[in-house]
Amino acid sequence: MTSPPGGYFGQALLVDVSEGDVRRVPLPDGVLREYLGGAGLGTWLSTELGPAGIDPLDPAAPLSFVFSPLVGTPLTTSAKFAVVAKSPLTGLLTDALASSHFAISGKFTGHDAIVITGRAAGPTHVLISEEGVELVDATPELGLSATAAEEAVREKYGRRWRAASIGVAGERQVRYATMSHDGRHAGRGGLGAVLGAKNVKCVAVQGSRRSELADRAAVLAAAKDLRNRSFGPATAKYRELGTLSNLLAFNAINTLPTRNFQSSTFAEAPALSAEDLAESRSVARSTCASCSIGCEHIYASKSGKKARVEYENVFALGPMCGVSDPDQVLEASARCDELGLDTISAGGTIAWAMECVDRGLLDVPWLRFGDGAALLRVLDEIGERTGIGKLLAQGSRSAAEVVGQGSSAFAPHVKGLEMPGYEPRTMQSMALGLAVNARGADHNRSGAYEADLAGGLDRVHGTDEHVRAAIETEDRAAVMDSLILCKFLRGVFTEPFEEWAGLLGPITGWDITGTELRETAQRIVLAKRAFNLREGWTAADDWLPERFLDDSVELDSGRTATLPAERLRAMIDTYYAERGLDQHGRPQLVQTDSGTEPTP
Amino acid sequence: MNGAAGIVLAGGRSSRMGTSKAALEWHGSTLLRQVTGVLDRAVTGPVIVVRAPEQKLPELDPRVVVRDDPEEGHGPMQGLAVGLDTAHTYADTAFVCSTDLPFLHTAFVHAVLRGFQLDREQGEEAPIDVVLPLVHGYRQPMAAGYRTGLAPLVAQQLRTGRHKPAQLFEECRVRRLTDEELLTDPRLARADPELDSVVNVNTPEDYERARARPAPEVTVERFGVLATRGGTRGSVRVRAATLAAAAEQVGLELDGHIVAAVNGDQIRDDGQCPLLGGDTVSFLSADAGG
Ligand code: SF4
Repeated sequence: MTSPPGGYFGQALLVDVSEGDVRRVPLPDGVLREYLGGAGLGTWLSTELGPAGIDPLDPAAPLSFVFSPLVGTPLTTSAKFAVVAKSPLTGLLTDALASSHFAISGKFTGHDAIVITGRAAGPTHVLISEEGVELVDATPELGLSATAAEEAVREKYGRRWRAASIGVAGERQVRYATMSHDGRHAGRGGLGAVLGAKNVKCVAVQGSRRSELADRAAVLAAAKDLRNRSFGPATAKYRELGTLSNLLAFNAINTLPTRNFQSSTFAEAPALSAEDLAESRSVARSTCASCSIGCEHIYASKSGKKARVEYENVFALGPMCGVSDPDQVLEASARCDELGLDTISAGGTIAWAMECVDRGLLDVPWLRFGDGAALLRVLDEIGERTGIGKLLAQGSRSAAEVVGQGSSAFAPHVKGLEMPGYEPRTMQSMALGLAVNARGADHNRSGAYEADLAGGLDRVHGTDEHVRAAIETEDRAAVMDSLILCKFLRGVFTEPFEEWAGLLGPITGWDITGTELRETAQRIVLAKRAFNLREGWTAADDWLPERFLDDSVELDSGRTATLPAERLRAMIDTYYAERGLDQHGRPQLVQTDSGTEPTP
Repeated sequence: MNGAAGIVLAGGRSSRMGTSKAALEWHGSTLLRQVTGVLDRAVTGPVIVVRAPEQKLPELDPRVVVRDDPEEGHGPMQGLAVGLDTAHTYADTAFVCSTDLPFLHTAFVHAVLRGFQLDREQGEEAPIDVVLPLVHGYRQPMAAGYRTGLAPLVAQQLRTGRHKPAQLFEECRVRRLTDEELLTDPRLARADPELDSVVNVNTPEDYERARARPAPEVTVERFGVLATRGGTRGSVRVRAATLAAAAEQVGLELDGHIVAAVNGDQIRDDGQCPLLGGDTVSFLSADAGG
């Protein structure tokens, strides 16, 4: 057998927790080069290993932890892994990234990916090392938060273990339950529920086996250079205040979704702002493993609870639900982390329910916009699946189907995934990105907001130019999420594809160019779409909730932001054409050595 | 299709001014850059400049569409035909004006364009073709709203030797808006109560007088690290006619890492973007998002 490319082991570990069967499958060089790692390789694994049309919570549905060639190198922000599976929230592909030592220890077990299938007979932890795989009883850890379960596993089995765990929400299979390690969450799409359905509480890894590097000296030099650049102005915002510094800026530009997108500004936003929090309370900064930026800002609420604060969780649990008391928002954020709930989906689903209550469609009189105590109560009910939480644990799309009475028109989701904190009517590159992205309404796989915020395009009047800008950001994300590098580094690259090829070459030994990586990006984007097509996606899923197409947003400037259905349709048609899809958004599939693949 | 375009007829002779009005200096920018910038802020459709054959224009925002008037000397109707014809693909209506309106305010443009909606609100069947302001009793065909579908009618009028806007108005549905009617718009009443939007500069003296007025007063806000680093939070009021001038007054530079929004609208990195009295300028980090 020839040795794999540098940065890889050339194999994935498959663990069937039903019987404890373990096998290793080779990952051909061609596949590694075509899909890189992380989200890309995870898409390939899901396509190859997942039975078509399977229920995401079925034992046979695979859940993959996918590493990358950069993991274990000194390149800043590279200690990341992707968790990839068919989502119980969307019924389509979901890939969530997290950053921690789990990536390094997991890869150093000697695998480029670890795939879990099956359903254990009882609550189980899966311990994976270079020596092998062990399934152990997790009954004592049931009901614990991910952090507590992780700690318990390390107490019992040794501090060298790194455990990705689920909280109560994952155990109860809340469809937007997260999985986390060391406070970093694979947040979106309900991966915690998939692990919960397998009766697995923690997947713990330890290892020390390093992959080869083709040119170690060149990798070290590149790492030094990247580290220096990571201290520059392009990352200042993340370092100094974290992503929460978006809040007031977005409020000023009519793009802060408020009260379930009924408004795009929140009068009480200053109370929740990074600027105010930084002034009024103690803050601890934290960083993911192997990161020189350190964007995480952790604030304490009055009760002393520590909460990680970033724009998305504050938006979703604050303005989106009309809650302005920073202590209640911090408590709610900490509560989501304890239960293991995706803050964006939780906030979006709750905000939808609050609007239903306002309109008399749901009889839960205590669940009102602006009521922080109600927010905390409903989070517990969702995590435990009790009371109204039983309905809301399904996410806003399914809940709206149950409630009916027109409530789907304002359920804030695309393909079932709740929307992040960007008002699509005032950010129309983003509107397109949200509508067409494979994962659903998502700001990390389509970073099209960059185009809206850069200044070159009129952000309230989407055109073909907006579509092309959105495609460019989607392509960049596809490569960054597969390499994997943190998105917050993106501003330091001036010729990103070429520079990324320059990082990958000395690791792998490939003679790789920016042009090839652009093709890789397109391949990964289309492969996700091909997976979704196989699982029942139709062009009707590439769309936005009616609210955004029917109602307008008045700007302080006197202009009105509207997103008529015809304009969105035209943008989507352009997207299909530019991506080489047919008029129904379908990629063409061909049979290759790597399996069934889309062709551009 | 919906939304409105902005059309500037730049081709008129500047005989009394003695020099090209379009290129007249305006607070570090030019008069044409000012007027096109105001229209760009006001409309969602494109901004179109119609110039005389061979006419040299000062530097404009690259997004501005420039069209040539095929023949010189037929007055504004010729430019109007070209402008409306160009705009027709993108927008149902257009605000049309001349180059020489240094105090044109977005609120005025909006108040005029709103005239097209009134018929719908009042339940009238036939659409309005022209919204014609009557400011201080004077008709303002060069600061008015036109339906872009009028292009063929304007062209036909020209062919039959009818070169005056007034002759066009005889053929279509015109809504006239008096001072009182215009000023029922609260934004306009606040921003431009004297309706200086239609003050034009025809002579060097007019220009000197207009230029001598102080730059407009605007409110500046900074967010994120731009606020915490400078040590001054909250908003400040400054006098600045362009974005670059406002940035400079608060110690910032639009260097690619900093962008701005005016009144919560478009994100801009163009320092020459004109500012108007009452504006709020928000400076933010260009690396927003995440
Ligand atoms: S920038 Fe933030 S999210 Fe990215 S790797 Fe560093 S600490 Fe983690």
